[in-house]
Amino acid sequence: MVTKQDSDLLAKVIKFLFWPMAILVMFFLLVPVYIMVKVSLSAPQDILTQHPPFLIHNFTWNHWLKVLKSGNLWLPFQKSFVVATITTVIAIMVAAPAAYVISRMPKKVRYTVILSLFFTRMFPEVGIALPIAVNFIKLNLLDTYTGLILAHLVKVLPFIAWILVGTFETIPEDLEQAAMVDGASRWTALTKVVFPISLSGIAVAAIFTWLESWNEFTYALYLTLSQRSLPLQTYYYVLRGDWFQSAAYSTILTIPVALVTFLLQRYLKSGYLSGAIKG
Amino acid sequence: MKILKTYRLEIIMLLPLVLYIIGFTFLPVMNTIFMSFQNPHTGAFPTFANYQYIFGRRDFNDAFWNTMIITGIGLTLEMTIGLVIALMLTKNFKGRGVFRSFLLIPMGVPTLVSAVTMTYIFNIHGYLNELLYRLHLIKIPVDWAGGGLKTLLMIVFADMWKVTPMVVLLLLAGLESIPGEVYEAASIDGASTWQTFRHVTLPLLKPSITMTLILRAIDAFRIFELPMVLAGKNTPVLSTYAYMEYNAYNNPYTSAAGSTILLVMILIFIFGYLFVSERNKEVI
Repeated sequence: MVTKQDSDLLAKVIKFLFWPMAILVMFFLLVPVYIMVKVSLSAPQDILTQHPPFLIHNFTWNHWLKVLKSGNLWLPFQKSFVVATITTVIAIMVAAPAAYVISRMPKKVRYTVILSLFFTRMFPEVGIALPIAVNFIKLNLLDTYTGLILAHLVKVLPFIAWILVGTFETIPEDLEQAAMVDGASRWTALTKVVFPISLSGIAVAAIFTWLESWNEFTYALYLTLSQRSLPLQTYYYVLRGDWFQSAAYSTILTIPVALVTFLLQRYLKSGYLSGAIKG
Repeated sequence: MKILKTYRLEIIMLLPLVLYIIGFTFLPVMNTIFMSFQNPHTGAFPTFANYQYIFGRRDFNDAFWNTMIITGIGLTLEMTIGLVIALMLTKNFKGRGVFRSFLLIPMGVPTLVSAVTMTYIFNIHGYLNELLYRLHLIKIPVDWAGGGLKTLLMIVFADMWKVTPMVVLLLLAGLESIPGEVYEAASIDGASTWQTFRHVTLPLLKPSITMTLILRAIDAFRIFELPMVLAGKNTPVLSTYAYMEYNAYNNPYTSAAGSTILLVMILIFIFGYLFVSERNKEVI
């Protein structure tokens, strides 16, 4: 049966343009990543020229060796890594119990609470970071791990709470009730039944939270004088106009994010997307 | 008191999160709004001096319009292209899996890094100018970061690259939730491709479009890293303007005024959009 939809003009145009468009889109998606890696692996004469070539003509590991040997990498890396890890652990400890309670609320209340979590996203980060920075100066928290962790929690807590509410909603309430009928207390039912089942969901949420902190730029910028995190170190080389260093640092910053995105892609559903839409 | 006793465990579990959000998000925002009405020298409240000051600054006016233009053009392009790609992905074609994997690339790249790599492309001796030169479209390299509309378009492009895939996946989830029978019915009734899209797909997709648009609008208004890295001080947006007032001019009070205006803009947009789209519910 030939329906009208198979034969009208628009359908023909779509059919004709489909592959050229698909290829063009894929090209655009790939090019910036290719260029970043290329810059980090090209000899200066390939880059510092009026007419840079599109392929790598003079391959070199020098920029990478320089980054790894210079000693400028280790401290920022350590700061970003430690801050992201502690932020994640605290975020889980604070958000998981709260998210569980929210997930067991009546539907209307739950909806309101989730909406108010979302509401925190409307506040401009520069507006939150400003008073925090002003107060942290007085408290001597600039340049410290503690200061940055406290600030990153602002960013990640609503995100992780929101995701975990979704995780706990999928666990049937009957399970805990059955445990309580068998004589378990509320707390035992929680720690021995609910949390073990939701462990994989919590783990995935933790990994994405870790990335949010690992990439974080705005709060770090407000709260740092000299002890730079990895994103700030990258930005520092951008400001200095050092392409090779900034490209190498960018690649280091990207590796964990890219790995997680591809390995955990099946979890990238609406909840994560809307929470992590900025990445 | 009885409520406290019955729900003691629940309250204890909820309290840390609530306290943190109040202490580290809600109070700072209130603090910022308060500071924006405070006299920088005497601390007197309320005063409009900070607002008068920034309204008189050219930087602020530029920042305001730059934010509006980036949001306007950016959202239009991202939503249109995102919808087209999402519609492409609803079709079953060879290489659909590969196409979907490609869409994950920008999501695996931090925003800051996407900004950095765009500087290589849009630099005066960068790859875009080289491409245009080789295609004989330009003779003299274009200074993309030099200010004006071309700089804003550069920022829009960088933002599009990073977020369009997420727009695609959000809209695709909406498209996949539309039952196939609806399309069958439209086809039996002899609807053309355009009619099906306009009168079946679009209205059923509206909740997804609203959600995506609001999420994107919030982030577009707050855009910070991309203009910071790509354009620096030459092309301020409201976020970077607020940062400059604090960092370069050491004036937290005017910075607070800038942030407050940004917050008001976001609120006006969201509630305005929801108001209009609720009222026009019957029209579409």
